[in-house]
Amino acid sequence: MTSEELIERLTRDFRPVQRHALGWRLCAGLGLGAAVSFLLVVRLGFRPDLWIAMHGFAFWMKWVYTASLGACAVAATAKLARPDTPPLSWLWVLAMPVLGLAAISVAELAHAPSDHWLEMWLGRSWKVCSSTVFLLSLPIFAGLLWSFRRLAPTRLRAAGATAGLTAGAWGATLYCLHCPEVSAIFVLTWYSLGIGLASLAGALLGPRLLRW
Amino acid sequence: MQTSEPELKAWMISGLGGDAAAHACLLRALIPMLRGFFRRRMPGQGAAIEDLIQETLIAVHTRRATYDPQRPITGWLFAIARYKMIDQFRASSRYCSIEGLEDMLVTEGFAEASDAATDIDRLLDDLSPKQAAVIRATRLEGLSVAETAARERIGESDVKISVHRGLRLLATRVKDSLR
Repeated sequence: MTSEELIERLTRDFRPVQRHALGWRLCAGLGLGAAVSFLLVVRLGFRPDLWIAMHGFAFWMKWVYTASLGACAVAATAKLARPDTPPLSWLWVLAMPVLGLAAISVAELAHAPSDHWLEMWLGRSWKVCSSTVFLLSLPIFAGLLWSFRRLAPTRLRAAGATAGLTAGAWGATLYCLHCPEVSAIFVLTWYSLGIGLASLAGALLGPRLLRW
Repeated sequence: MQTSEPELKAWMISGLGGDAAAHACLLRALIPMLRGFFRRRMPGQGAAIEDLIQETLIAVHTRRATYDPQRPITGWLFAIARYKMIDQFRASSRYCSIEGLEDMLVTEGFAEASDAATDIDRLLDDLSPKQAAVIRATRLEGLSVAETAARERIGESDVKISVHRGLRLLATRVKDSLR
């Protein structure tokens, strides 16, 4: 096929691209995946005291932590979805929520007698927390993979890692609706572990799954 | 001959708005640019280059939603071309390993290249249109003095003088801005 024939074929039934198409595409993938994860959380069951917890500090501490990681990760994913990715040096801001939560953890531990520390760290659900966060991230990651089918990442490993981080952070945000744990050190350890696993998986799979 | 960045951008933006003719113009104009790009990097591989050009055109077409009109289109285009080229190397696995792909893409520095293009545009904006045009033609597009004179419809000595004066002016501007 000559290039002229190719151009002829490509411009036949030509359709305009709506403005912010890239953003919409990412939001659609993220939203579809999050809807599936939300149904999984519904199946797990909301924590019974959800309404009361939403009036307290611990619940919002967890949400602010996971949602701020999620927001940064979405922004980075949107940048990496373009072939000419601008520098991502601003990603150091991801350290802010982590350091903030670490400060709260230290303050909480300092105010508690030391024989409570182990209990605060392990809570009642440390065995399932990270793996549930990771599982809840899978539908979101799949949604983002669908988004990427029309996008053009050129740094596949980085794009996979930020997609995994996005999925992990939003999976964790949804998991907050189920998980009744309240201590900062618990969230800092087990939530972060689940989110970290999701981004690691993304980084490992990125070069294979995001090729175009 | 290379088509200028503003022209390509205008076609792209009309194309995104649904103008098929502008989009076809864009794709046609990209062919010689891509051919030059691939030839410099893969000398003596004519058939592979023609395949890559078509692959890149298809990618430009199907993934045009990833173009950000705020940024230079040549940066976007060559990022896609480079990705397709490395992907092809990887498929034939003769030239580079899979592992190094990210590093190669990062160190090639698209962002810096496109920033440099923007800086050049800004600097040339300060000159008279004639000086800017001849500097672009002789120094950036690589035309000869005679070709430039023919294209701009001015004398050859006028081209030389304009280039010389323009560059001298740019040099003082840059020096002033560094002071």
